[in-house]
Amino acid sequence: MRSGDRETIAKRVLAISQADETEVLVASSDTSLTRFTRNGIHQNVAARDVAVSVRAIAGKRTGVAATNRVDESSLRDVAERALAMARLAPEDPDFVALPKGEAAAPPPGSYSEATASASPALRATMTDTIFRIAEADGLWSAGYCSTGVSGYTIASSAGTLASFDGTEAGINVKMNGADSTGFAECYVNDVAGLDAHAIGAKAAAIARETAQPRAVEPGSWTVILEPAAFGELLSYLADHFSARAFDEGSSFYSGKLGETLLGSNVTIVDDYAQPLAPSSPYDYEGQRKERVTLIEQGVARDIVTDSYWAHKLQRRNTGHALPAPNSYGPQALNLLVMPGSKSTGELIASTQRGLLVTRFWYIRTVDQKHAIVTGMTRDGTFLIENGTIAGGVRNMRFNQSILGALRACEFSRDLRRTGGYSYSCVVPSAKIENFTFTSATEF
Amino acid sequence: MAFDSIAARTLDTALARGAHYADVRFETARTERIEVRNGVVSTLADSTSTGYGVRALVDGAWGFAASSDLSERGVDATAARAVEIARAGAAIARIRVGFAPDRAYVDVFATPVVRDPQRIALGDRVALLLAAEKALRISPEIAVGRAWLDLWRSEKIFFSTIGSKIAQTIVQTGSGLEAMAVGEGDVQTRSFPGDIGLYKSGGWEIVEEARLIENAPRIGEEALALLRAPQCPSGTFDVILGGSQVSLQIHESCGHPAELDRVMGWEANFSGTSFLETSQLGKLKYGSDIVTIVVDNTLPGGMASCGYDDEGTKSVVSDIIRDGMLTGYEMSNDTARTIGRASNACVRAQSWEFVPMIRMCNLNLLPGDVPFDNLFDDVRDGIYMESNRSWSIDDRRLNFQFGCEIAWEIKNGKRGRMLKNPTYGGMTPAFWNSCDAIGDAASWVAWGTPNCGKGEPMQTGRTTQAASPARFRNVAVGVGYHA
Repeated sequence: MRSGDRETIAKRVLAISQADETEVLVASSDTSLTRFTRNGIHQNVAARDVAVSVRAIAGKRTGVAATNRVDESSLRDVAERALAMARLAPEDPDFVALPKGEAAAPPPGSYSEATASASPALRATMTDTIFRIAEADGLWSAGYCSTGVSGYTIASSAGTLASFDGTEAGINVKMNGADSTGFAECYVNDVAGLDAHAIGAKAAAIARETAQPRAVEPGSWTVILEPAAFGELLSYLADHFSARAFDEGSSFYSGKLGETLLGSNVTIVDDYAQPLAPSSPYDYEGQRKERVTLIEQGVARDIVTDSYWAHKLQRRNTGHALPAPNSYGPQALNLLVMPGSKSTGELIASTQRGLLVTRFWYIRTVDQKHAIVTGMTRDGTFLIENGTIAGGVRNMRFNQSILGALRACEFSRDLRRTGGYSYSCVVPSAKIENFTFTSATEF
Repeated sequence: MAFDSIAARTLDTALARGAHYADVRFETARTERIEVRNGVVSTLADSTSTGYGVRALVDGAWGFAASSDLSERGVDATAARAVEIARAGAAIARIRVGFAPDRAYVDVFATPVVRDPQRIALGDRVALLLAAEKALRISPEIAVGRAWLDLWRSEKIFFSTIGSKIAQTIVQTGSGLEAMAVGEGDVQTRSFPGDIGLYKSGGWEIVEEARLIENAPRIGEEALALLRAPQCPSGTFDVILGGSQVSLQIHESCGHPAELDRVMGWEANFSGTSFLETSQLGKLKYGSDIVTIVVDNTLPGGMASCGYDDEGTKSVVSDIIRDGMLTGYEMSNDTARTIGRASNACVRAQSWEFVPMIRMCNLNLLPGDVPFDNLFDDVRDGIYMESNRSWSIDDRRLNFQFGCEIAWEIKNGKRGRMLKNPTYGGMTPAFWNSCDAIGDAASWVAWGTPNCGKGEPMQTGRTTQAASPARFRNVAVGVGYHA
């Protein structure tokens, strides 16, 4: 379903609604994913849906109802349910009014017809390419190839009418050997940008080169985090930039705008239009997203807001609302870390003794206020000795403050998009001093 | 809505397009979420979603397609899409991975419900949460109070080309509280019940069982006290874990590694594999002799309780660990065949638009014979921990590190002062083999987990790990806690 059909549905709900104010979110999706293991496809899926969510306002009371039926009776029912809930809700003194959005153009490259119309045969061909690489190297592959199109329309009684359609394609591969594994990934908007052979070959090379891994002692290490590892680590900072966490005091940022909190080489922005990951120019209230500089040369500069938190904190609305109802507050969903000047190879060459980490696994927050997290290395960890790769090592557990890491780091000049569908950010490789590993595992 | 004719059309289309077997699962899911945050109803939402998913088997390869379009044209297109997807996979297949089920059922199942939540006025539901959340905020240092309620109802009907027709109504309910205290450079959180609330299958009686209002002041006080409590020490201690933390320990270090799809590498690139191998059945001493863990989707109140799984297999009770020995896996029809067994009905999908896959069932640690207070008796120097705060385990489920919200030291068999930021870690088999006491049936609770993630596209599963508090000897405590 494209934007014209969604807008028709949204306008119909607005016409039906008897609420003081009404906001309608119509989301459509058609996504496919081919998943494989042991050089064969084992889950091969596709799903189409359209969902209508109505935020009804009665004075300062809010109710939200949703349905995925779009006939007249269902639209009338969902509008009535939303209003009925609103009338039963207590007043929220900080609610003012639904915002009015302004038109914004989608960033170049956010939509690809080739991705939207990709066939299961195309995905099978790409996975077969990966299988052949694995078989040639005596490995087995596991991963997925995905393609999909999704879009949403937000319309409100305040005059907002915003629509966006975007496409996503991705390949994520883990190559498995007798005692080692390797990982590679690529996420793009245009499926033509997926090079299955290059991705499979990279994962296979990591698995080969980390074979017969040795055990090294946990402790304080210099690490070079490849983008997949650094991006996942960074994603655990995202909530700290939210106006909600800032106001409630759980963020390391709280009360510290203008202070130097990280290294002077660290600049972090939220940018929906970054060319490696172009996405919607609108948030889920139909507001134009701002490019927000969160950290500038180590200094805490800004937070992200939506209409509710902008009013509550008397700040501007940066356009970072999530779909209603939203107890999480506004979120920075498009983090970008500005690159450094060296290549990843040069970062390795400058390391006397350290570890090159391909990927992390199961990162969880240990201490929210200090942004301490724990997690494991996974799928390709290399020992660096005298500036060169010296083979693979067994996986280890880390416990590390992200803030401490970003006070003693250096970035590569090459940016990569990482995270797939679970989160998305654009980051360089990061060299970090005194990264703390606390235990080891058996593989 | 009667689905018989549209189901027949769907399955006929799949067969006509070349499927050797097909099934279709129609589902309407209704969810209601109410959340109160600092005196404001931040979420008051009611959602319904209706659709269906078609599985088609072609030359040993599965295809799955889902849609919300229930028109004749819609089901024709969706069935054809499932077959097209299966055929694309079959064209490059090296091995056959899919097999049709061999037994059909015609049956009806419904979750036993004492009080239908929809008969509780919405205003009363909101009022309960407002009162409970208000009772949490005993001090300005409680920066955030939260109270929430989830009501879930799923009506689904499954048809297959071998003649199954299974209608099920699953009702699940959950509620909980959380207080976040903010001090100088410190944030401490207490939750109740457990760390995510009390989630069970059933109706409003589950909310009443949680006793939110009665417990809220204590939870607020504990959050405040944690700001002033000393740091949990580091070292090797005997540890007693509260029941909800034992539930989490089962979930992460038994439930996931015992999923046979992980053992076979089906989750290798994402949620990981397992340290278990099929050759270890009957040979691996997973835990001490008192550790027995069973799959039981017939458990009253279990979040995974149902009559049949989403492949149409009837729910059973089966052993995973018996007297400490590994004896079984959580299995699907496909994976069970690879080890010469029959499925134990562990296949579910999040909802109609997702492919059914092995999901953790009600996986329960059977109770021991020690009253809760007696677990402390012969602990000379130990730590008692409650309510999970963080959880991490390696991708073969061996090296784990978990943190809890609150702890108390144990000295000479007595619970002492409160400690903050407790963590512990270890390796899975060694940890379970260090278990030397399990609480009795009086302390056994069906702890539900409503948010288990697995699969790509990722699916959220609802499961229960019923458990009592338990005691573990010589555990590494305080691992990793430094700023």
